[in-house]
Amino acid sequence: MTMMKEELPEAAEATEVWATELERVGFVRRMFLARRWYGADWWFVAISTVMVLGFIFVALFPGLLAPFSPNELVGSRLLAPGAQPAVPVLIVPAESPLNELVDLAAPAGAPRPAVGVVQGLPTGAALNERAKLLDDEIKSAPEGLRLRPRINRYATTEEALRAVADGTDMAAVIESTEWAAGMSEQFPTLRQGGSITGEVSTAGGFVLGTNDIGQDVFSRLLWGTRVALIIGFSSSIVALVLGVPLGLLAGFVGGALDRLLSLVMDSLYAFPGLILAIAITAVLGPSMFNVIVAIAVLYVPTYYRIVRGQTLSVKEEVYVEAAKSIGARQSEILQKYIFPNVIPSVAIIFSVNVADAILTGAGLSFLGLGLPPTIADWGIDLARGQRFIQVAWWMITYPGLAIIAVVLAFSMMGEGLTEIFNPRLRER
Amino acid sequence: MPDLNLAGISRGAGNGAPADLVRLENVRKHFPLQSGLLANLLNRGHVPAVKAVDGVSLSIKRGEVFGLAGESGSGKSTVGRLVLNLFPPTEGRVFFDGQDLSRLSAEEMRKLRSRMQIIFQDPMASLNPRMTIGDAIGHPVWIHVTGDPEKRRQVVTEILEKVGLAPANQFYDKFPHQISGGQRQRIVIARALVTVPDLVVADEPVAMADVSVRTLLLELMMRLKGELNLTYLFVTHDLATAKYVCDRIAIMYLGKLCEVGPLDDVYRHPGHPYTRALLEAVPVPDPRHRRKEPMPAGEIPSAINPPSGCRFHPRCPIARANCAVDEPVLRELRPGHFMACHYAEEVLK
Amino acid sequence: MSADVLCSVRNLIVEYSTRAGAVRAVDNVSLDIRRGEILGLVGESGCGKSTLGKALMRLHTGAARITQGELWFDGRDLMKLSEREMPDVRGAEIGMVFQDPMTSLNPVQRIMDHLTETMRTHEPEVSEAAARGRANELVERLGIRRERLHEYPHQMSGGMRQRVMISLALALRAKLVIADEPTTSLDVIVEAKFLDLLKELQKEFGLTILLITHNIGVVAEVADRVAVMYAAKMAEVGDVREVFADPKHPYTQGLLRSVPNIALDGAELYKMEGAPPNLLHPPVGCRFAPRCPHVMDVCRRQEPSFDPVGEGDHLAACWLFNEAAVAREKSHA
Repeated sequence: MTMMKEELPEAAEATEVWATELERVGFVRRMFLARRWYGADWWFVAISTVMVLGFIFVALFPGLLAPFSPNELVGSRLLAPGAQPAVPVLIVPAESPLNELVDLAAPAGAPRPAVGVVQGLPTGAALNERAKLLDDEIKSAPEGLRLRPRINRYATTEEALRAVADGTDMAAVIESTEWAAGMSEQFPTLRQGGSITGEVSTAGGFVLGTNDIGQDVFSRLLWGTRVALIIGFSSSIVALVLGVPLGLLAGFVGGALDRLLSLVMDSLYAFPGLILAIAITAVLGPSMFNVIVAIAVLYVPTYYRIVRGQTLSVKEEVYVEAAKSIGARQSEILQKYIFPNVIPSVAIIFSVNVADAILTGAGLSFLGLGLPPTIADWGIDLARGQRFIQVAWWMITYPGLAIIAVVLAFSMMGEGLTEIFNPRLRER
Repeated sequence: MPDLNLAGISRGAGNGAPADLVRLENVRKHFPLQSGLLANLLNRGHVPAVKAVDGVSLSIKRGEVFGLAGESGSGKSTVGRLVLNLFPPTEGRVFFDGQDLSRLSAEEMRKLRSRMQIIFQDPMASLNPRMTIGDAIGHPVWIHVTGDPEKRRQVVTEILEKVGLAPANQFYDKFPHQISGGQRQRIVIARALVTVPDLVVADEPVAMADVSVRTLLLELMMRLKGELNLTYLFVTHDLATAKYVCDRIAIMYLGKLCEVGPLDDVYRHPGHPYTRALLEAVPVPDPRHRRKEPMPAGEIPSAINPPSGCRFHPRCPIARANCAVDEPVLRELRPGHFMACHYAEEVLK
Repeated sequence: MSADVLCSVRNLIVEYSTRAGAVRAVDNVSLDIRRGEILGLVGESGCGKSTLGKALMRLHTGAARITQGELWFDGRDLMKLSEREMPDVRGAEIGMVFQDPMTSLNPVQRIMDHLTETMRTHEPEVSEAAARGRANELVERLGIRRERLHEYPHQMSGGMRQRVMISLALALRAKLVIADEPTTSLDVIVEAKFLDLLKELQKEFGLTILLITHNIGVVAEVADRVAVMYAAKMAEVGDVREVFADPKHPYTQGLLRSVPNIALDGAELYKMEGAPPNLLHPPVGCRFAPRCPHVMDVCRRQEPSFDPVGEGDHLAACWLFNEAAVAREKSHA
């Protein structure tokens, strides 16, 4: 008897060649081969995935990249990006051995060193203060040194510096920016010593400037990434964990349960998002946890609706009827036949959902709700920067750009994945 | 002797088993257009419904290929599903191997399913796109036979080879979209036969296959019928194909049976005007052949409000006054050949 | 092009691009459609018959494009027309009836409006009243009561919708109607009546019809000539009685023998092994060679040309009818 053997025809016949080629090749190569087939969408997904990974890396290890901790007062307030902080520095003659203020200390009976300052500027007060502080420190030391400079006040910086150049004063204290801006050329015989206050005078200043209380904007940005991503991911995951099973159940079981749940979910969904979140955080109080809860509640209806809709349509598919006909239990049908066919749609909206959650979270902290002010967060920075937008535009711009970038990256990734998994029928 | 004894499945046929594997007693299935409390209130209890099956009684003998033919709206697919109890009838009873399916508990029904399976029309739609072939065919094995993965794999491999998909392990881990259309229907057949059922409902099993592949599939189905002692309920709209495989055939129109009998007798001596028209309408692949009789006027009416009396009377060339009033019953006018027409004697001449 | 040929293609190639490369859905096909005939274009799924039908009015779905070949209609070179000029040809000169009329009729437009609007688009000088009149006439001729014209497509049955499509082609006085699987979704009695209608229209209006179908029986019932396609190529063309009585191409032979014939008793159905080739990487030589029971050496190496076989205009693409090739094969054996 002739057996009608139908072997799996060569790849060229039964399956599309590219599909079998893919199977023979490793995962990494597959990624790159995919570029040929997905074209622009591949770039879309690739670029956004790199961005997302970058953000995740920053969120995991902000300390690696941030020069300062987010709440540290590191410099002058409202410093423009890249600007040199105006640190009061000691200017001494070039050949003088003096460097720091403490070098001016002299034994008790010695003549008091003369230091020049410009009248009316805060450098004078800073000098006074610092000197007193150092004096208190060293007077208890066995060397018996005292630091009590005689402060000469001049009308202009030039006069103060000329006094040092011609030997009247041992040193002068002026702002480092002034020295850098031209004074150094005018007085070639003088040089800059150390700063009086010990403040950092970063070469190039602070990369993105400082905010109104002297915190480094750049560091806050990086540390803020962590907060944003935690809020984004956590709330999305919580919403997913709640919304997906409810949607599955409602779609599969139907009846009164479906109607009740849908009523609740539709009511929630009808609320404008931010307002609902505001209401919840206002009730619960400010904390990261409460923010996550509030935003999660906001997105549960989204997952519910999508999953319910998908479940309803998958339920009508012939293969579900086939599962029933082989005697599968309801739970098996739900688990093996319905769930796997519903979940891809969820995976895709998750990405976009994270973007949305980050945006909502930033919105909440912008309004002053949700997070306590000790946590560095982009929303809070936005709010603070609002008041200083005319004098310090960098305070609001960089956190704003950061929010845009993260939201864009996640959205792009989600959209790109959608295109790849549900391609529009461009080929036959 | 079926060689799938590896499964150790017990077959229902034993001593004193009724000769009729399946029996339908005056079965009706109405699908209401709206459901729920409000609909019932608004319509005062008589919600309009699609009367898909409206009083069908038939029996299928063990070992035969019973054809069920009709056009769209005839109710044939619904009958196929009623036989499997995929949904309960609105009225009437369905018997399988002597058991009234409505009296079984959910668990008993589930277990009984290993003995009655269905081959669907569209292989792509009836296979779970997220399940591998091995899992899809292995699932009924897992439910009804054994949970042991090794044994399960063996059984699945056996059936894959039986349907001509060899070497089986090349197909085992593939997904439906990775294999060709012609092979997919074999997968569906394999899944239906893996538990060695008594009854297989084939719902237009080759309608979506290419013409050149149909013969192969039909031959496969018939060969396996012999090997595994199967009984087929062959639901189709294609009378030409039915001719090649069916022993007996029933013609349905708008939810009722017009004619039932041995295939050759029905085809040669149709007793119902609708059967005659249907047989006449089938395109014959011979240019010299010409249709002799005119086609009935009009089109198939809606199943929501079917015509009174004989459903076919508005279109029937020989309808008389009483046809609109009295519903005809199936009468045996030739041995084993039943027709539901008041004037079947005239048709037979 | 002789006067009795209404539409003709020569060496037509229709390609579309997929992720894995270019696929030729129609590969070097030549075909004549004569005035007033019903030509049955038959083949299995994927053979390219639908693509060929659409290409005749340069209708491209997706990424398919005519990349080579000639296309003549009523003495005019259609390939020379710009995209803007084609809509005048479509509908008015070449009409199309699709498989699923639900998707070709606007679901939110009443049938009457659809008909009159289409008529007046092609013939702007016709008044609304005149258009309605013509619609009513035609539709009654096709067996639809005129009241039904005021319904929406979903209120009509499949058979009726197909008749509406035909009436549209008639209303626009189309010379050629391309019917792509027009009866596949219809019940068999409705199908029979529709086929009768096609034959009547052919007689009464001198309509030329290209009937694309996979159903051999339908072709046998209505067609005057039949063209058989396989794997994007033309396998055989000829008078329908001749081709059925004496099929020359082994594929046609196999096809005819594997179709169940309700009028015959006790015949065995033929089983064709194998499957059509993947058009991404078509085999060298004759495409049917892997499945052909009469395959020769040359068949696997070279594609046969489409030449006359037997009498009349019976043409087939098969080496078996090339005496030199057959002789060579015998001498090798």
